[in-house]
Amino acid sequence: MSKVLVVADIKQGDLKSSTSELLSKAKAIGAERAVVAIGGNIESLSSDLANAGSDTQYIANDPGLELFSAGPYTTCVVDAARQFDADMIWFGFSESGKAVAPRVAAQLDAACATEITDVILEGGHIEVVRPAITNKVIQRVKINTDKLVAVVRAGAFEAVEEITGTENVVELSPPESDLKAVIKELVSDASGEIDLADADIVVSVGRGAKDQAGIDLVKDLANDLSAGFGSSRAMVDGGFMAHNKQVGQTGKIVAPTLYIAIGISGAIQHLAGMNGSKVILAVNKDPEAPIFNVADYGIVGDLFEVVPILREEIKKLS
Amino acid sequence: MKILTTVKKVVDVELTMRVEDGAIVEDGMQYVINAWDESAVEASVQLKENNGAETTLVSVGGGDNTDMIRRCYAMGIENGIHIEDPALDKADSSIYARVLQMVYEKGDYDLVITGKQAQDTDSGQTGIILAEYLGLPCVSNVVAIEVLDGQHIKVSRSGDAGTEIVEMELPALITVDVSINEPRLPQMRGIMMAKKKKIEVMDLAALGVSADDISAAAPRSEIVEYMASKTRKGGQKFEGEPADITAQVVDLLANEAKVL
Amino acid sequence: MNPFFMSLLLIVGLAIFGRTMVHKIRLLMALGPANRANHIKARLKNLVVLAMGQKRLVGRKKEWASGLMHALIFWGFCVLLIRSLTLYGEGFVQGFQLPFLGDRYILGYLYIAIKDIMEGIVLLMVVYAFIRRMILKPARLHNTWEAYFVLGMIGVLMISDLLYDGARYYLIMHHNNPAHLHFFNNPQYGSEFLWTPVSVGAGVFLAGLSADVIGYVMICMFWLHIITQLTFLNFLPLGKHFHVITALPNVYLKKLGYPHQKTKLLDLENEVAWEDESLGINHIHQLTWKQGLDLYTCTECGRCKEVCPTYITDKPLNLHDFNDKLKLELLDNADNIIKRAKLSATIKQDDAADQTDKIKTEMVELNSKKELIGDVIAQDTLWACTTCRACEEVCPVTIEHVPRIMAMRQGQTLMAEAYPKELNPSLKGLERNGNPWGIGYDKRADWAEGLDVKLMADDADVDYLLWVGCAGSFDDRSKKVSTSLVKILQKAHIDFAILGVEEKCTGDFARRVGNEMLYQMMAQENIETLNNYGVKKIITACPHCLNTLKHEYPQMGGNYQVMHHAEFIDQLVKEGKITLRKSLEDTLTYHDPCYLGRYNSIYDQPRSILNSISQDGLKELDRHGRESFCCGAGGGRMWMEETIGKRINLERAEEIVAKKATRVAVGCPFCLTMIEDGMKELDKEEEIKTRDIAELVAESLA
Repeated sequence: MSKVLVVADIKQGDLKSSTSELLSKAKAIGAERAVVAIGGNIESLSSDLANAGSDTQYIANDPGLELFSAGPYTTCVVDAARQFDADMIWFGFSESGKAVAPRVAAQLDAACATEITDVILEGGHIEVVRPAITNKVIQRVKINTDKLVAVVRAGAFEAVEEITGTENVVELSPPESDLKAVIKELVSDASGEIDLADADIVVSVGRGAKDQAGIDLVKDLANDLSAGFGSSRAMVDGGFMAHNKQVGQTGKIVAPTLYIAIGISGAIQHLAGMNGSKVILAVNKDPEAPIFNVADYGIVGDLFEVVPILREEIKKLS
Repeated sequence: MKILTTVKKVVDVELTMRVEDGAIVEDGMQYVINAWDESAVEASVQLKENNGAETTLVSVGGGDNTDMIRRCYAMGIENGIHIEDPALDKADSSIYARVLQMVYEKGDYDLVITGKQAQDTDSGQTGIILAEYLGLPCVSNVVAIEVLDGQHIKVSRSGDAGTEIVEMELPALITVDVSINEPRLPQMRGIMMAKKKKIEVMDLAALGVSADDISAAAPRSEIVEYMASKTRKGGQKFEGEPADITAQVVDLLANEAKVL
Repeated sequence: MNPFFMSLLLIVGLAIFGRTMVHKIRLLMALGPANRANHIKARLKNLVVLAMGQKRLVGRKKEWASGLMHALIFWGFCVLLIRSLTLYGEGFVQGFQLPFLGDRYILGYLYIAIKDIMEGIVLLMVVYAFIRRMILKPARLHNTWEAYFVLGMIGVLMISDLLYDGARYYLIMHHNNPAHLHFFNNPQYGSEFLWTPVSVGAGVFLAGLSADVIGYVMICMFWLHIITQLTFLNFLPLGKHFHVITALPNVYLKKLGYPHQKTKLLDLENEVAWEDESLGINHIHQLTWKQGLDLYTCTECGRCKEVCPTYITDKPLNLHDFNDKLKLELLDNADNIIKRAKLSATIKQDDAADQTDKIKTEMVELNSKKELIGDVIAQDTLWACTTCRACEEVCPVTIEHVPRIMAMRQGQTLMAEAYPKELNPSLKGLERNGNPWGIGYDKRADWAEGLDVKLMADDADVDYLLWVGCAGSFDDRSKKVSTSLVKILQKAHIDFAILGVEEKCTGDFARRVGNEMLYQMMAQENIETLNNYGVKKIITACPHCLNTLKHEYPQMGGNYQVMHHAEFIDQLVKEGKITLRKSLEDTLTYHDPCYLGRYNSIYDQPRSILNSISQDGLKELDRHGRESFCCGAGGGRMWMEETIGKRINLERAEEIVAKKATRVAVGCPFCLTMIEDGMKELDKEEEIKTRDIAELVAESLA
């Protein structure tokens, strides 16, 4: 029976759903399940961690872990992995996961695979499936070591509702801080606007919005989603949007998980800046608009009608 | 300051990837510098221009990398090393990191800059593993660099909760994101000068690594098969009553695409 | 009158003038070479039509009044030149007469009659010019004291001569000619004064004066005329009125054939050129002598800026100001430029490397202390130009603005590497995938899927190559044009093929932004492909491709017979290979693409096609044909943001809207994008549909 250690995905003190998705997958492949949680003020999370589907909770709770620092986080994960004797260590899709996973692999002499969408246990070895080349191909990768450290792509695994766990907390000793790479400050995105290039979701507004009122309408949608807010060239040219908000060949090139194009016809200039997005949703009143040739989901309709409904429906989800 | 930059040659991601018999069809393929590495090169050259530094690049594998390395020379890199050995054919991130480790140890570098990932694998491991092997402080996904003094740099990292400001002691390793800069386009003057510069091409033996060692250190992972991915075609287009179709699409985004 | 005084005036006047001119000419001779000595017949024709005939002054409807004014003054001056000689003679010998123009000949009488009327007309024109400058104030005019001063001098010249003759008339006819003045009085043709009504009329001002006073007036007017004339002559080279002297040679030396000096094919491997920073124009001394002459000749009339799409939309490019700044920089550095050229001449005779280096160091010290781009001309100014050539088409003295801008851009890109960095993604796209969008080259022929279009790789034995171009291959909107064109060619049973993935951008865009390296790379690869297939005839839907393939590839060994699709379709119609239905009900107008019209003189064929499909015929825009208004995308501007002033495409779209057209035809993928975008911006894309000629023809195929 394999042993899977899931690294809990905690943001602003809350446990994110990816943790339970990963634990569900671990259960599905019949693995023993543990979770490691790292943070500055997370003592209250142990029951959440258990409820997410873990049977053992390794918790590193220390004020020094308040801010992310790859070195100490790695130490905690390695510590938990060794105590649990994990075969697989899974990270949810996050910047911290991407930073820590290769380190853990190096320290444990394990293989590392990022952005995986599936894990298959076959004939005594592990295989993973992952997209590569900006999602243009899928790789099947054979793991040659006993141990695998993996970063799981967002949404790859589904959480099962009935998953339960038992609370069995193991406290990890606080790691030494990294004296050679000292985190000085966290400039929170919440304080300012979300950078387009980094945003998971980008909402862009085009000529269809017509004027400032239309832009504000779309911007509300972006705010609801904590999304980056961009625009097509037309709106920049029209003086409605700042130049650094322009998505396209001569502006920003973005590849978020979800790109929402509102009132954008999809000029080639614009497409060149966003066609690397994982999923594209387009809203446009012209059914022939080229944006629909690249959009995974297209709503043909007047944005002034559609956007308010879109906001309502999205609110219903959370 | 001596800077080592790693550079990888990758498939041009603008091209259509065709998969046949579990492999990517090479016919008609063209290869270019990895975009993240290009940003690493630009970052090195900017440090050279603004703070004074000696810049060296290293590329591992990829066959004839002359054009790519000359392009980097034209951007302002001063020295180039290319490691090429048949034993590297099946190399994975950890083997690349081992080879790079040898290169690093032969020089006296203060800073290693790598791209945060390569466009062909999108793995994002080599730089970080290299730092582990070298025992260097490491920050990944760097979006800004500032030199504080001869021993310290301050970097901004794009993290989950915002921009993390980290002070690093040299020697150190950083992996950079493309948003750190706009790589310059090599111009004729640089290209002409680049033609006259030497590229140090070495095999593993010259580097002091036995090819057997590398072969013996079987890769920790290997790609057994490529499969075609859904190409970006128009997906589902909904026309009709706005309330209905919008609800339907949001449901699909949440449950089919799983992006909400 | 007074030979001594006359001699003194002439010697002083001509000596100063000669000295000024020698200096000006030496400066030109110190500038770079330009070959303009060939084709004397064609040059003389230009001289007659453009300069003597004042074609661009009187031939433009919008400017006919001021044009005629200028032409009349010019023609007046031509006539009066002979009169001046007579007057100079009069200074030495009383009653001096030129051969065949004396009182024995009817020619002499005719001449004085014409001269008399012309003086009157010129005087009237001077009055009109004053009114125009002071009261009407057209926007393009740059009002300076110099302009008034020169107008004043012309007025004085006319008045003095008229009063001189008027005084003669009074003395001779009303005071019994006390000084025994000579006058034409051939019994056959009568008295001189029967032929000179204006002078006689001027004499009225002298009525009632005594003979002595009139005698003084006559002498005063004579010398006033002579002194003014010599002052005028010496004043001309100092300012914009130098054109009075240089315009004729400048028009004579104008570029023949292709409308302006083609962009120079630079030898990028020439290391000396790199050391000397002589690729493109980086320093004022690198202008050619013809470009120097252009600067001498600029009259600051402002016609260029009045038609300039960038000036109209508040960009910083103001061509007469541009010329003026360059001229000042040229004159400021005149001595150093002449010294530099002398030093340069010594190099060729001397081979010792260290000696050469020494001279070159000295030469560098003589360079202007100002950066040509930056200090003299602002960056934004240089990069604003869309290379549309509207300025060159209206310039009465045929100044070549665009080649100079192109050479300066070459210098900026190659030497200073100071081109707008926003171009990088597009340049990189060209470098990697042969198109400015950077889309994978392997998708270049995707548009033709299912259209049954042959590839050259499969069958190169075809009559025509269809050069699709980047837009036609990759831009969704322009792909529809390609598809329409294929439909037409197939309907006409034309045997053609495309290059498919082997086609690359012609390099036009790279060249217009000064990136000669990338241009040559693209051109070389394309020419190799075309020559390998033995391509002879090419049809293309893009005027930029047309221009490059047709006029620029020959510089690199690519010689093809290239036709724009409008030319070709027109030919098909005329040969009866396709028949068009007059089915278009819309109010149709046509936007001339710059690279089709002004660069390649294709004005009639598109109109002929459009007239044959439109029920109501073509409704012309105010700015059409030679004076068509750019869409804003030429000269690489397609790949730069337009952040200063009003957008050019919007200006054009508004013009089309104002014409109440419901359809606008274009013949260029960039115009198509720009105008359609303009219509969208104005929320008119539904009412006014922008269509390529090929699309309209495909819809009207019988």
